[in-house]
Amino acid sequence: MGTLSDEDVELLVGIRHFELALLRVFGEGKVNGTTHTCLGQEYVPVALAPLLDGDFVLSNHRGHGHYLAQFRDPAGLLAEITGRAGAVCSGVGGSQHVHRDGFLSTGVQGQSLPLAVGMGLHYKRTGANRVAAAYIGDGTWGEGAVYEALNMASLWRVPVLVVVEHNGIAQSTPTTRQLAGTIGDRVRAFGVDFTEITTHDIPAIRSELAPVVDRVRHEHRPAVVQFTTRRLGPHSKGDDTRTAEEVEALRAADWHAELAAALGARFHAIDERVRTEVDRVVAEVQARPPSQWADLVEAGVVR
Amino acid sequence: MSALSMSGALNRALADALEADDRVLVFGEDVGPLGGVFRITDGLAARFGDRRVFDTPLAESGIVGTAIGMAMNGMRPVVEMQFDAFAYPAFEQITSHLAKMRNRTRGKVEVPVVIRIPYGGGIGGVEHHCDSSEAYYTHTSGLRVVTPGTPQDAYDLLRDAIDSPDPVIFLEPKRRYWSKGEVTPGADRVGFDRAVVRRPGRDVTLIAYGPMVATALETAEAATEEGWDVEVVDLRSLSPFDDETVCASVRRTGRAVVVHEASGFGGYGAEVVARVTERCFHHLHAPVLRVTGFDIPYPPPKLEEHHLPGVDRILDAIGRLQWDDEVVGAGRGA
Ligand SMILES: Cc1ncc(C[n+]2csc(CCOP(=O)(O)OP(=O)(O)O)c2C)c(N)n1
Ligand SMILES: [Mg+2]
Repeated sequence: MGTLSDEDVELLVGIRHFELALLRVFGEGKVNGTTHTCLGQEYVPVALAPLLDGDFVLSNHRGHGHYLAQFRDPAGLLAEITGRAGAVCSGVGGSQHVHRDGFLSTGVQGQSLPLAVGMGLHYKRTGANRVAAAYIGDGTWGEGAVYEALNMASLWRVPVLVVVEHNGIAQSTPTTRQLAGTIGDRVRAFGVDFTEITTHDIPAIRSELAPVVDRVRHEHRPAVVQFTTRRLGPHSKGDDTRTAEEVEALRAADWHAELAAALGARFHAIDERVRTEVDRVVAEVQARPPSQWADLVEAGVVR
Repeated sequence: MSALSMSGALNRALADALEADDRVLVFGEDVGPLGGVFRITDGLAARFGDRRVFDTPLAESGIVGTAIGMAMNGMRPVVEMQFDAFAYPAFEQITSHLAKMRNRTRGKVEVPVVIRIPYGGGIGGVEHHCDSSEAYYTHTSGLRVVTPGTPQDAYDLLRDAIDSPDPVIFLEPKRRYWSKGEVTPGADRVGFDRAVVRRPGRDVTLIAYGPMVATALETAEAATEEGWDVEVVDLRSLSPFDDETVCASVRRTGRAVVVHEASGFGGYGAEVVARVTERCFHHLHAPVLRVTGFDIPYPPPKLEEHHLPGVDRILDAIGRLQWDDEVVGAGRGA
């Protein structure tokens, strides 16, 4: 791995500890509904964060890392997921429906892409120099809305960046059983730029993608970036259909051990500090009263 | 006869239908090895092979369209939509093709597709995991819309649905998946289009369906303390509507309350109220009332118990049915 700032490492392990803590809290029955963790995929939004500063991020069901990378707000997100005071959306959205200036997630697969096109089109027309970036999984390439959006994005030259987290599986269905051909070929057929990232070396990813994002932003050339990545956890909770060996092989290729080995004492010092901080946030948020619509009133959102 | 959960009864119905008829196919997202999010198709792929029970890409419109294409060629596809709101990408296929094919072909082409949709709230889910989407489908002519309230009905109605030559929207009340009841697979079935009286009573008819049947029965028990003898009608088939059974009950009791989880405004209950009023007006002692979810997007988990009709709200509505012979419309709001 190239050199990473302390801040990058903090964010990386921060997302990891957040997700692990969330699974614990879930196990204690304190999360309503379901939740999907991004364990193994944390480096994707961390790598992209400085490239998308001030841009609009559309996220999906596996969006905690996307949010944390943009806003570094574990307390607000955890409060949202567990319905506590100070929740980003007063607990109305939960894990999959977070809205904040510059951020929107939805759990309905594929439907965010047309929104991204609309946002990008507006940014282009108003000279905003802004990118609409949408995260989707490999399985979501089954949805028709994805292709409607790609067509319009290319036809109208819209500053849209689609980030594909290709973890080789959709819920229980391996990519080989749900996707014909390749995502790259599909994307290129629309005349849209396609970049494939197979490493988790964050500085290398950034230098490769900086010109791609620049072209989206300044030349209004939509692009799709595919990360070959790993889902280490279950799809949501306790629903992993993969064999133990399969998951073990994914774990062996995880960024975490590699980074720990590369950074040694520096990593462990940061890791320890961040873990303690996440634990503190979890305890603090759980002690808060339930979130209320009144939070929205105070925030001036609702009268 | 054995005690089965509603999910177990649905699984059994699918297995029996697959066994009985080679034309029956089951497909959808993660219905194969995983057995579906709610495990309704558990074990079916292993037992019947992946030619008959198979996973699809995430492509709801594609799934329903594929089912239509196969059904037009004599097959009997049963497809699963993972959650209520994930069926919306398939809406065009459902309303424009599935529902209209028979009419368009002047009866020549049948489309015996069953679309299974877990619907409704009560499981602490959010938004698109908790929609009560029945009115979208009941408003579309050409579709049958059914929903079971008991494990036995889950079995019977699903077998009826698969046997039916018509397209069926099969709404599964997901919060009742784990409720148990006696199920006799080969028992005489009530009839696909029929409502049933689940509990006889003299004073008031509670009209419910799907997830609210259990709640209505609970309310009927609680109502005895207030001295009300409540009859509970389980609609089972939302479309077509069994006017005969419902109206016979209301004419007997003279009072009716309709209960559903979906928002009231423009909801299915409005149709029920209208039909009952049109047909039973001279038998009614009070306006027919509705107890429904509020007119809001589905609320976050911690608030859902307030949103979903419960015993207290239903009892309150019963209490407002002008028991002391007040004149209907005399200024007291219903
Ligand atoms: C329209 C729609 N259909 C079905 C679902 C249910 N669902 C949630 S996540 C998921 C799998 C998504 O796979 P992928 O796009 O590869 O993302 P990953 O979970 O691997 O990150 C499915 C089927 C959904 N959310 N939206
Ligand atoms: Mg995936």
